[in-house]
Amino acid sequence: MVLTDTFRNSFNRRYTSAMDAPTDRDLILRARRGEVEAYGELVTRHQAGVFNVCYRILHERGEAEDLSQETFLRAHSRLNTFDVNRPFGPWIRRVAANLCLNHLESLKPETEFDEERDAAEGAGPEAVVEVRERGEQIRAALASLPARFRVVIELRHYQGLSYDEISAELNIPLSDVKSHLFRARKLLAEKLHAPD
Amino acid sequence: MHLTDDQLNEYLDDALPKRARAESHLSTCAECTARLSALRSLAAEIESLPEESLARNLAPAVTRRLTSPAAAYSGFPRWLTLTTVLQTAAATVLIASVAPFILEAASTFIPALQAPPVMETILEAQRVWTAWLDALSQFQWPSPPELPASLGLSNFYILLALAGTALAWLVGNGLLLRSQIKQ
Repeated sequence: MVLTDTFRNSFNRRYTSAMDAPTDRDLILRARRGEVEAYGELVTRHQAGVFNVCYRILHERGEAEDLSQETFLRAHSRLNTFDVNRPFGPWIRRVAANLCLNHLESLKPETEFDEERDAAEGAGPEAVVEVRERGEQIRAALASLPARFRVVIELRHYQGLSYDEISAELNIPLSDVKSHLFRARKLLAEKLHAPD
Repeated sequence: MHLTDDQLNEYLDDALPKRARAESHLSTCAECTARLSALRSLAAEIESLPEESLARNLAPAVTRRLTSPAAAYSGFPRWLTLTTVLQTAAATVLIASVAPFILEAASTFIPALQAPPVMETILEAQRVWTAWLDALSQFQWPSPPELPASLGLSNFYILLALAGTALAWLVGNGLLLRSQIKQ
């Protein structure tokens, strides 16, 4: 009797927990069949990661939430092209980064980056006094970068993509990836380590 | 000869082709080692940014939008915006207006490009338009057939029945879609 109970408990622990928590792959397959609730579960699982991508790039909470929502809607329309054998998290975060870049570029025409102008704007003493916490300083420094620099930093430092992967993701030459990344780091170093 | 900034960045990202040579240099150069160390600190600082929590759950809004009737419009390609449609229409009108003049001018150089004269084309279009208006003015709706008197039904009752059916159809659809609208 004890043995039977032990076996039953062990079975329940092993299999009911698996049944209660379907994998991302299961949810994607169900979502492809039209189960909106399954996609809702995927959103719940990955929304924090997607929101943080948008927030790091946009530096504005409300906008980041809106873009996160748009990311999931966009990803849903492309769900049939997604390879279910690959992890969903990195893919949706890359979609978010791209969407944020498109959003930023649609706000204002791409202008030639002027380092002197940018340095003068970003390192003002009022801004430094206002931004007290280090995290906020980093966010403010990131927000002061041109859109493409921000996205390259996001993909390299927060999503761990290689130069080649960033190049493919943003559809830009490898030389541009390097140039954007190195210049972005230089600007960040100047802003973060500027004397008060 | 010191390492360049680009080489140090590539070294940091494990993307420098001649890594062994750079390592050999770094083992003897204090200045380049310090620059690499500063770059590493910067990367660590960037990556130390804490994750922020989300103030609201996005899932209900996403699923609601996926089930809303407006979601049907998401099938349109992204480039098909109102601006694109209006620009295309404006461009078409412009090309259609200018084309006869260009063809006429070009036909003086290339005889094969004989286009009908502009005035003739406009007159022909006017003729077609007038003929179409004449046809439209003579159009008459067919009168409904008279019902046999023995049935005791007038057209008024038939129209009333049709209106009632349409109303029931609308209410029925509304009830069916109510659950989806609520989601």
